[in-house]
Amino acid sequence: MKMKPIAKIYTALIMLFLFAPIAILLVFSFNEAKSLSVFSGGSLYWYKELLHDTETLDAVRNTLILAISASLISTVMGTAAAVGIFRLRNKVLRTSLDTVTNIPMINPDIITGISLMLMFVFVGRLFGAATSLNFGTMLIAHITFCLPYVILQVLPKLQQMDRALPEAAMDLGCTPLKAFIKVEIPEIMPGVITGLIMAFTLSLDDFVISYFTSGNGFETLPIRIYNMTKKTVTPKMYALSTIIFFVILALLIMTNLMDNPTYAETRRNERRAGRNKADADGFVASATSGTVGGRDVPPVGSARAKFRRRIALAIGGVLAVGMIIILVVAAPQTPVLNVYNWGEYISDGSEGSFDTIKGFEAWYKEKYGSEVEVNYTTFASNEDMYAKISSGAVSYDVIIPSDYMIARMAQEGMLLELDYDNIPNYSHIGESFRGLYYDPDNRYSVPYTYSFVGVIWDANQVDEEDTGDWDLLWNEKYAGNILQFNNSRDAFATAQFKLGLDVNSQDPETWRRALAELKKQSPLVKSYVMDEVYNMMESGEAAAVPYYAGDYFTMLDAQAESVDLRFYLPERSNYFIDAMCIPTCCQHKDIAEAFINYMLEEEPAIANAEYICYGCPNDLVYENEDYAEEMGEEAMEILYPDLDTFAERYNSFAFRNLDSDMLDLVNTLWEELKIN
Amino acid sequence: MTKKKDGLTLVRRLALAPYSAWALLFIVVPLFFVAYYAFTDNSFHFTFSNITRFFTATSEVSGNGGVTKEVHTYLVIFFRSLKLAVISTIICLAAGYPMAYLLSRASDRTQKILITLIMIPMWMNFLIRTYAWMTILQDTGILNSLLRSIGLGPVHVIGTETAVVIGMVYDYFPYMILPIYSVMAKMDLKLLEAARDLGCNSFQVLRRVIFPLSLPGVISGITMVLIPSISTFYISQKLGNGKFYLIGDAIEGQYVANNLHFAAAIAFILMVILLVCMAFMQRFANSKASVQ
Repeated sequence: MKMKPIAKIYTALIMLFLFAPIAILLVFSFNEAKSLSVFSGGSLYWYKELLHDTETLDAVRNTLILAISASLISTVMGTAAAVGIFRLRNKVLRTSLDTVTNIPMINPDIITGISLMLMFVFVGRLFGAATSLNFGTMLIAHITFCLPYVILQVLPKLQQMDRALPEAAMDLGCTPLKAFIKVEIPEIMPGVITGLIMAFTLSLDDFVISYFTSGNGFETLPIRIYNMTKKTVTPKMYALSTIIFFVILALLIMTNLMDNPTYAETRRNERRAGRNKADADGFVASATSGTVGGRDVPPVGSARAKFRRRIALAIGGVLAVGMIIILVVAAPQTPVLNVYNWGEYISDGSEGSFDTIKGFEAWYKEKYGSEVEVNYTTFASNEDMYAKISSGAVSYDVIIPSDYMIARMAQEGMLLELDYDNIPNYSHIGESFRGLYYDPDNRYSVPYTYSFVGVIWDANQVDEEDTGDWDLLWNEKYAGNILQFNNSRDAFATAQFKLGLDVNSQDPETWRRALAELKKQSPLVKSYVMDEVYNMMESGEAAAVPYYAGDYFTMLDAQAESVDLRFYLPERSNYFIDAMCIPTCCQHKDIAEAFINYMLEEEPAIANAEYICYGCPNDLVYENEDYAEEMGEEAMEILYPDLDTFAERYNSFAFRNLDSDMLDLVNTLWEELKIN
Repeated sequence: MTKKKDGLTLVRRLALAPYSAWALLFIVVPLFFVAYYAFTDNSFHFTFSNITRFFTATSEVSGNGGVTKEVHTYLVIFFRSLKLAVISTIICLAAGYPMAYLLSRASDRTQKILITLIMIPMWMNFLIRTYAWMTILQDTGILNSLLRSIGLGPVHVIGTETAVVIGMVYDYFPYMILPIYSVMAKMDLKLLEAARDLGCNSFQVLRRVIFPLSLPGVISGITMVLIPSISTFYISQKLGNGKFYLIGDAIEGQYVANNLHFAAAIAFILMVILLVCMAFMQRFANSKASVQ
C-alpha cells in the first residue's frame, strides 16, 4: 500500500523529532571550541582527543565487555528457560514463573538497581567480603534485567512452531537432544537473535541499574558521562556518539544488504503461508506477545532458516571470540591500583596535555622495577563516593575527597594513616595548607587542589555596580536569568554567606532562615545547575551564577561573541580543599603512597593544575614561571588570592562535616525548596 | 517412544532449572531486601517510621499571592511525577498509534527502513541524547534561533514541564510504537475486510475492530513508557533546570545522602503502587480480550 501525502508528512515530522538531537550531536562533535552550545567552526580536534583519551576508551571497552557477556549469557539462559516454560504443564508453577519474569519489566529500573544493590551490600557484609560490588555484580544485574526480554522474544516463536515437528523427528530416529538441536532451535532462531540484540542494546545503554550496582574500578560509559557533572561534558563525548552512530548505521546497512537476496523469496513464502509480516522485525517484545502469537501459522522456509542460522552463528561467534579476547587481555597480571577521583579531575593526556596516569606507571616501573596498572574511576560528588565506600562493597587504594568528607571519614575510621617516609614530596606542600581543621595533625591527607566559590557574571547583561557580593543573585532586575547550585550544601552556603550565618551551624533555625532566603530567590532562578552551567553561561543563556573559581576560565575560553564573562569573589565565600587519602579498604598501601608522592612531582602536578584549572597547593607549581605564563595574569590573580591569609579565611568559611541528623535536615529542607 | 518423550521432558526441565534459580535469587530475593530495608532503621530494628515519613512529611510552599501553605512533601513529589509520566504516555500513544498503524500497512521495504530509523536513536547513549536536547531547547538554543530566522518570537521551553515532557516522550517514544506495531502487523486483514463488507465505515472499523485487536500492544506500550518516565531522574535534572524534583530524584537524593532505609521505603511504596496499577491494567486487558 502506498502512503498518502498526509501520512508522509506525519512520518517526516516524527523522524524530524527523532533525529533532531542526533543531528545536533553530529554537528557539535566537529566544534572547534569546548562548548556544546556555541558553534565556533569546524574541526576534527575532538576526534583526535578521543583517540588519546585512554580512560574513555577503557570505559567504552568495559561497556562492550559487559554488554557482550550479559547478552550472551542471558540469551543462552533465557532461551533454555523459554523452552522449559513453554512445555510446563503445572499451572501454578507456570503462573508464578510468568509473574516473576514480568517483575523486572514492570519495575522501574531504579527499583531493580536499588534492590540488587541492597542485597549485594548486605550479603557482602555478612561474609565480610572486602568488595561486594564489582564487575560480577554489574554482570549479574545486567543479566537479570535482560533475561525477561529474551524469554518474551523466544516464547512466541515456540508457540508458532508446529508441536508435531520435534515428535516427528524423534519418530524418525532422533534422540530428544538431537531433535531439540536439529528441529526446535532453527525454528526459534529469529526470536533468539532478536532477544540477543535486544539484550545487547539494553545493556549497552543502561545507566540507572549500573549506577547502583557498579563498584571497584569497573566504569562503563554511561557512568563516566554522568560523573562528568562537576566539570563539563565535552564535545569529545559527542564525537564518540557520532562514531557509534556511524558504526551502527554501517552494521545495519550491511545486514540489510546481506539479507536482500533471500529477502524477496522469503516474503513470498510467508505470504503463501499466510504468515504475519512482522516477526523478524519485531524488535520490542510486547509484554503480552505470548497471548498474541498463538494464532500464527508456523512453517519457516528452510532456506531462510538456514540463512538465519548462519547469521546467528556468525554473530554468536564474533561475540564469543570478542569476549574471550577481551577477557584474556583484561585478566590482570600486574598489581592494580584503584584510584577514585572526581570526574574530569586529572590530566589524562587529552587536549595535548601530559598523561599523569601513564606517567605514573612508567615512573613506578623505572623506580621500583615492577609493573603496576592504574585503574582510574570517577565519582560525581563526595556523597556519592562516601555512599559507595561506606557500603563496604568496593575497594579503592587512593581517593580524592573534599575536606569536610575527609574529616567525616577520618572520624569514622575509614582512612589509613599515611607513612610520610614514602611521600618525601610532601615537603612541597605550602605551609598554608597544612594542619587545617579536617586533618589537624596531617595524618591522613595530602592536598591535591583548592579553590573557592565566586560569582561569574556576564558584563553584557549585568551592570557592574550590582556586582561585588551575594546580593546580585537575589537582584530582581535579573529575574529569570540567575542560576543557582543544584547541590544542597553549596546552594545553602550562598544564602548563609549572604545573611552572615554560619555555614556549619548545628542550629536548625539557621538552616531554616537560609531556606527562607533560597525560597525568596527561587522565583528569580532560571535553573539549578551543575555541569549545565557551562552551556548556559557560554551562550549568554543566563546572567549570573555562583560557581567554582577555576571553572570560570573554561567558560571564558568557549564564550559566544555576544557574551562577556567576568568573575568576582565575594567577601565571605566557601573555600575548599580536595586531598588525596588512602581508605581502609586499600589493598596496596605502598603503591598508593608512591602514587601520592608521584602526584606531587613537578611535571604531573603542573599538568594537573593546568588541566583542572583550580589552585594548586604545591609550591613547585605555584613558583613555576612557565606555569604562571601558561595560565596568564588574570588566572593567577583569581586562582591564588593572597596566600598569607588563606588559612584564616579557610578556617572561617570552609564546610565542616555535619552529623547525620543535620544532613537529614538539610536534605529535607532541600526537598522543600525543590517542590516549590 | 514414551521413553524418548520422557527424555525430552527431562531435557526441558533441566533447561528451566538455571533460570528458575536465577530468578529466585536475583529477582525475588532482592525485592525482599527492599522491604527489609524499608521496614528497619539504621541499626536494623523493625520500624514503620520510614513508611509513615513518606505519607506525613510536610513542607511549606508559597502558593498564589504569597500565601504559604503546608503540603505533604513526598505525596506532592509523587503526584507530580505521575502527572508528567501520564502526560508523556498520552502523547506517546497519540503520536505513536497512527505511526504504528501506518507502519503496519506500508510496503515491506518501507516498513523495514522506518523501523530501523525508529530504532537508531535507541542505540545512542540516552544521557548524551538528553544533553543534545538542552542545546536545542535553551532560550538561546537552536529552536529559538530557527524561530527568530523565520520571524517568530522566542519561546521559553527549557526548565518548564514542557521540556521535561519532551525529554520523556523522546526517550521512550520507540517503546510505544514498536509493541503496537508488532501486534498490528500480525492482524488478520480478512477481519477488516469482513467488517467493511458488513457495512462498517472506516471509523467504525478502527473503533470496533482495529483498536480492540491492538489492545495488547497498546497496554504493553503504555507500560513501557509509563514505568520508566515515572521513575526517571536524569531527564528532570537536565531539561527541567533542576526545578522539577521527581520521585526518582527523591530516591537518588536519599541514596546519595546515605539514607538507604528511607530510599528503600520510597522505592518500596512506588513499587507497590505500580504493581497494583499494572495488575489492574492486565486484568482490564484480559477481560477485553476474552470479550473478543
